[in-house]
Amino acid sequence: MFKDRIRRMASDNEYLHKDFHMALNNGLDFLEERYGPGAVVEYLRDFADTYHSVLKEDLLKRGLRAIKEYLEEIYAKEKSSIHISMNGDDELTAVVEKCPAVEHIRKNNNEPSKHYIETTRTVYKTICENTPYAFELMEYDKLSGKSKMRFFRR
Amino acid sequence: MISCVEFIPAYSELFKYIEKKDGKAAVIEFWKYLSEKYLSDTLKKYVEEDGIKGCWKYWSHSLNEEAADFEMCVDEEQGVFKIDMIKCPSKSILMETKHIEPYRDYCEHCDWLYRLILEPLGYSYEVDMEECDKAKCRLTVRAPGK
Repeated sequence: MFKDRIRRMASDNEYLHKDFHMALNNGLDFLEERYGPGAVVEYLRDFADTYHSVLKEDLLKRGLRAIKEYLEEIYAKEKSSIHISMNGDDELTAVVEKCPAVEHIRKNNNEPSKHYIETTRTVYKTICENTPYAFELMEYDKLSGKSKMRFFRR
Repeated sequence: MISCVEFIPAYSELFKYIEKKDGKAAVIEFWKYLSEKYLSDTLKKYVEEDGIKGCWKYWSHSLNEEAADFEMCVDEEQGVFKIDMIKCPSKSILMETKHIEPYRDYCEHCDWLYRLILEPLGYSYEVDMEECDKAKCRLTVRAPGK
């Protein structure tokens, strides 16, 4: 008969629970099924306005360097890569060869939400609203989440 | 992409969005939906395969990846599994992210998600959330007939 006990401190582990990608994906599916695709976009706009208000302030203060550092940080935490090139403070181009979220969702035999693209398009577009910058999703592959993004001065 | 390290604020904001749009009952409907979609291939499957030990398997994975501060024990003979959550990582993130207001009933989602998996399998599920405002809770699962 199995019997065990463990005690873990927060510092014993790294915070990286990729299954959360699946829970968010389920959340987008729920919104779409119950309220339609507009609700997915509306929710993501609300999220970006609230959660990313700090990043938006940083963007206003420091320009596209704030976006660069933010993207580098989250992709490093995901143990994934993003290739960023900058043209002064007027343009930032970022290429993601393999989206860690889409990869994890598919690896677990789930299908990314039809509107998963909006976690990139709507969120980054909303961050740029009412700033001197704009966002354009230049390429997006729904199968892998591979993408090419551009932030630029209006 | 919303990173998995940003999920908890996104989750709390999702509860707030659904409640604003359609009321608390709709948030509970979402938790029921998520319980089935998110836990059927993990917690439910593990408990069906391994009994109370399946709880150990599920939470060993999730709580370590979530870098929780916790104590957990299982006794297969007694048919008991317990978690003493000393500092819940999710609630802590929400409490520490000063620029967002956490969803009022945030902690309630755990109760719905897990209870809906375990009770239909005959397990009893108890959670003490008296100190959830301090990111602490205690959970006890008992195998059928124990």
